[in-house]
Amino acid sequence: MQRAKEGDKVALSQLVNTYSERIYNLALRILRNHEDAEDVLQETFLTVVEKLHTFDGRSGFFTWIYRIATNASLMRLRKKKVIFHKLNDETDFQESIESRVFIDWSQDPSLNIYDKEVKQKIDQAINSLSDIYRSVFILRDIEGLSIKETSEILNITQENVKIRLRRARQFLRDFLSEYFQERMHTKND
Amino acid sequence: MIDNHKEEIKKICDIMGEDFDNPACQEVLEHLKQCPTCKVYYDTTKKTVLLCRENDCPEKLPDDVNNRLLKVLNLDKNFKESQKENRPS
Repeated sequence: MQRAKEGDKVALSQLVNTYSERIYNLALRILRNHEDAEDVLQETFLTVVEKLHTFDGRSGFFTWIYRIATNASLMRLRKKKVIFHKLNDETDFQESIESRVFIDWSQDPSLNIYDKEVKQKIDQAINSLSDIYRSVFILRDIEGLSIKETSEILNITQENVKIRLRRARQFLRDFLSEYFQERMHTKND
Repeated sequence: MIDNHKEEIKKICDIMGEDFDNPACQEVLEHLKQCPTCKVYYDTTKKTVLLCRENDCPEKLPDDVNNRLLKVLNLDKNFKESQKENRPS
């Protein structure tokens, strides 16, 4: 790291070699587009090269580079001005579960990602998640990072990570439930 | 009916992905044994996360993407050397 900070190109190349694939996949998960993911990958490492001398090691390098890549991805997502389903931190969580009928589709053996339609629905559900919820869901549930790491990368409190994660999961569950329940009914008819 | 389960459902979401050994998780898991509504919520939410995870396939960094990155960073000449240094002797 010290050599990379001093501008040693071989050491910088090693950093690129170590992190480029993870950063590319992170951007791909958030943006769901290969060209955009490549742009974020380049932007992230250009920032790393430019700002590496300011990296003080208070957070780990992984957290630091992930923060740069997540911010770059979210900026790009916001610029696209896609209209997402509205989920609001302030909305009372309790309101969103009013009058829901819970039908158990979790044991349906036909629900697997090898079914093209199921796969499409899952993609559609994640694509409908707005930026702040999508980033938490991807870092925590897909990348498997801890609540602490997620909060450090997104620069939000751990409590906020939990709230956003709860709402993201709730939204995805509801989105998929509608389709899966209908599918169960059609099969049983 | 759902009204009665709101607080429990909040707790369920909080414990998912956490260490199930901790006392807060145990309390919720105990509740699930006695409450079919919350159990359905728990199972379907867990399945949702699982399906999203299974649907996610990390990609290998394409060579052309890697080459363009190294070029932008002006590191294309140093990359092979760095790989040699990474190799165990």
